Formats: sequence, C-alpha cells, structure tokens
Amino acid sequence: MKLTGTALCSFVAAAAVAAPAFAGLGADSTSVQADLARMKGSLRVTSTGAFSVHEITTSSGTVIREYVSPDDKVFAVSWHGPFVPDLRQVLGGYYAQFVQAASTPHAGGHRHLAITQPGLVVESNGRMRAFYGRAWAPDLLPQNFSVSSID
Amino acid sequence: MRKFAVLALIQFGFLSACGGGGYSIAPPPPPPSQVIATHGPPNVETLVVSTGPAAAVGVINTAYISVQVCNPTSGACQTIPDIEVDTGSTGLRLLASAMNGLILPVETNGTNPLAECLQFADGSSWGSLAVANITLPVSGETASGVHVQIIGDPAYPDTTIPTDCTGTPRNMVSTFGANGILGVGPFLQDCGSACVTAVVTGTYYQCPAPSTCAGTTATLLQQVQNPVSMFATDNNGVIVELPVVAAAGATTASGSLVFGIGTQTNNALGMATVLPEDPSTGFITGTYKGTAYVDGYLDSGSNGNYFTDSSLTTPACTGSNAGVFYCPTSVMSETASLKGTTTTTLTANFSVGDADTITAGDAAFPGLGGPNSDPKGFDLGLPFFYGHNVYTAIEGNTISGNMGPFFAY
Repeated sequence: MKLTGTALCSFVAAAAVAAPAFAGLGADSTSVQADLARMKGSLRVTSTGAFSVHEITTSSGTVIREYVSPDDKVFAVSWHGPFVPDLRQVLGGYYAQFVQAASTPHAGGHRHLAITQPGLVVESNGRMRAFYGRAWAPDLLPQNFSVSSID
Repeated sequence: MRKFAVLALIQFGFLSACGGGGYSIAPPPPPPSQVIATHGPPNVETLVVSTGPAAAVGVINTAYISVQVCNPTSGACQTIPDIEVDTGSTGLRLLASAMNGLILPVETNGTNPLAECLQFADGSSWGSLAVANITLPVSGETASGVHVQIIGDPAYPDTTIPTDCTGTPRNMVSTFGANGILGVGPFLQDCGSACVTAVVTGTYYQCPAPSTCAGTTATLLQQVQNPVSMFATDNNGVIVELPVVAAAGATTASGSLVFGIGTQTNNALGMATVLPEDPSTGFITGTYKGTAYVDGYLDSGSNGNYFTDSSLTTPACTGSNAGVFYCPTSVMSETASLKGTTTTTLTANFSVGDADTITAGDAAFPGLGGPNSDPKGFDLGLPFFYGHNVYTAIEGNTISGNMGPFFAY
C-alpha cells in the first residue's frame, strides 16, 4: 500500500511538471483549461460557494463536469453522453490506478463497473451511444460534501 | 405445470437451508403466450445461454450464437462459436485468437487501413477493421461486405493502442468474455453521424502503420454496421426468445434469435406492446417504486437487472458479488412500468434473488440484479428476457406503423 501511495505521488508530481499533459481529477483548476483545449469543448462554470463546477461540453455531445474545491483541487469528475471521454485526461494522475484496478476480473459485465480503492472511487455505466460515469477522490472531498451531489 | 411446482419447492427448500427468514415468492408464471420460434431457415438462429468459451471465467446470463465468417476474396471460411448476442451495441466484432487463422481483407479509407477503439463501460477493445461475408449457419441469413472489428489483432498489439483510446483493455477472450460479439442493437452503425462530421476521441483511427494510428472521421458506409440491416430480408430488427428459467438457476438455457419483425409468420409483432426509444440514446423510461429513471433500456448484453433500490443493499453480497449484485434472503418479486416516447406504458415484472446462491457452473440465473450507479439508470438485462420475447427494432424502419428504434414485448 505504501508503495502504491509513493508511486501515485511521484506520478502526480511528474504530471504537475509536465502540465498540461495531465489534468482532471486531483489537479488544480487551471487544468480545466487544458482539458477544455484538448476536448475542443465549451465551458460553463457554476459555483455554490462550497465548491465550483466546471462543465465542459464536447463537440460530440459528451458533458464532463469537474468539481473544484475551495482549495482549488478537482476532487470529483463526471461524464455523460454518447461517448466515454478520454479517461487519461479526466482521471489525470489517478488513471493508472484506475486501469490497474479495473483489470482484475469483475462481475458486472460490459455495462457496469464500480471501482472502490483507497483514495479513488470510479463508477462507469452505459452502452453504445449513452454512457454515464463519475469518479472522486475521497481524500480531496470538501467537508460535508455528499457524493450524491456529483451528477 | 407439475414441473414448475417441483422447481418452486426446490427453490423454497434451498432458501430455507440458507437461513432465509422470509417466505419465498414464486417467480411470475411463464406468459402463456410465449412461443419460441423453431430454429432453422429462413430466419431463426439457435441461441444458447452458456458459460461461453473456456477461457472466459465467471460468465453469467450471456447468450451466444455461432457465426460463419468468410474472406470475400479467397472464399476461406471459419465458423466461430460463442459469439455474444448484444442488443445494446451495433456490429460484429471478433477476437483474433478465436478466428482459427482466418485472414480477412483490411478495410481502408482509400488511403490507410482503419482501426477502432470500441468503448464499453468497463473498458475498451482495440483492433483493426476488416471486410467479411457472414452467414448465420442455422437460419442461412447472409450479409456481404460487412465491416467487422478484429479485436486483439496480432498486427495491432496492445502496445499500439492510441493514448486517447482509454479504459482497461478488453482484447483477449478471457477479458472480453466471448469469442466475439454480434451487436444487433437499435442503431444502424456503431458511431453514426457524430463520427462523420468530426473526429470523435476514442473511436475511429486511420493507420499508416499500426504504431502511427491517428483519429479520423468515418463515413456511415465506412463504419461498423448492424449486420442484420445488411441481410436481404428480415433486416429491420431481431427478437430474442428465451424460455423461463427456474429461480434457482440452470446450467444452460436454449432459445432463438429471430431475424426480422413482421417479415415472416414467425416474427409478427402480434400482441407485443411497442415502446419507441429516444432516437439518439436508445433510452426509454422505467418507473420503479415511484421514481422515474430516464436512462432505461432492455439489453441482452447486460448480465443482470441493474436498478436502484436501497432496500436491497442489505444484506450485502460477499466476495466478487459485493457491491455489484443484490443478495436478498428471499426471492423478491418486483414491478416497474416502462414508457417510451409515446404515452403507452408496459408493466415489467422481474425477480431479484440472492446472487451468492448461484450454483458454480450455472450460466442462467433469472434473479440476478444489482445497483445501477447511474442515478437515472434502469437496465433490464438478460434475466428479464427469460420468459419474454423481446423485440429490438432498428432505427429507420417502420413496422406496423411504429417507427424504429423501439423495444417491444
């Protein structure tokens, strides 16, 4: 476990140096601009005070929401639309951990995937032309934030 | 009837032995009207729910057929068994390792070979595109010049997966769960118009060399098509016909995949109720315990019924079923109301049993249900198909005045 944590930290650090190659979950809000550029999308920002939501709508119709905490970290992401977005981009430094966790056999078939790991939760659903997913880093959630607000 | 009563008794005893405190509710009786079409020409394929290819582990509620695939140029053919029938995707895709060495001509965009990243919720499958003539061996239905994806093509190993083709790779029989997939869903192409007008990340690629694939647009004719729509007749949809399976489960279940709707005496809409789908998403609405879920669908490619019900989350399942399935102490009878884009509603009765009681080696378990983490999701998967003849009509077809895409049963 300690090894994984160290690997993840160095991965995030490398990502920060190499910005904007990696953005998304765990990165700061400036990474949203990098995601926007890569996804060739349009951006809408809403703020509740407790956190802000940066919503990117891609030209192919998928909507990606990045939830940014008061200390300027993307603590959750969601996507819904006809295509799964570039998860390397959306999950940022957590992507490698996600792929590793999802590669173990799982029982939910091709339509449903739920990954619960220390430091990372990913849920992915749907079928051709209609996907929905969300991910969050429990360690980064603002106080009193309910994950049911991620939609 | 007598057999049914015996099975119910077995089920009751089984649950009591497992410490189930509740009483067992018998599954809904088989609809007296269900008639499963006889296999054979001109339009009925044998459909079997089995544990699939030996390399696939832990397969449940997955329906397979065999497909004969031929090289249009050389005439060489292979009949490939254990191809999953999926009413939730479009197109024929084959695992290269299951093709017994059959080589197919590559599909190009005139300049370069084409390849595809196929997105699933649980990962992605990467491979080249090829051209094949296919025959469904029992019915004799044929389609020529079909664009198919070769997943795990040795010429396109995982090292060539483009960086924007993301998700866990599902490029082997063991990780894919089948030797291939026959997508007979509501759409004519897998991507559709979105990939014609712009490069969509993680879909189509052109490949000067396998290591230099770059995203590309793809015309509707270049895309992977619904093979059923390419048949000469019986090309407007399919009916999945599977029998009732006892609540305790079964090692296998055998039924029919019927091609065409209203094109033969064996595939009439009859008394089935039509639920038109949202033409963009394929969604219908399922209302369950007072809540409307707008991301609803009927899907042979889902191995369970996935829906939200907080009363079913305890007791929790164990092992690999934990968090994925429901494990109530007695079989629960559930009811939803389905509605398409018209005002017509249709009752859907289904059951939820204890996923932890599935007998090792069984391929069919009608009570398999689990939570749906899409808060708007309502997915009636293959368990719902047991005892129902479920129609999936392809977009662009009008059948008895009903415009596809639609579901019906």
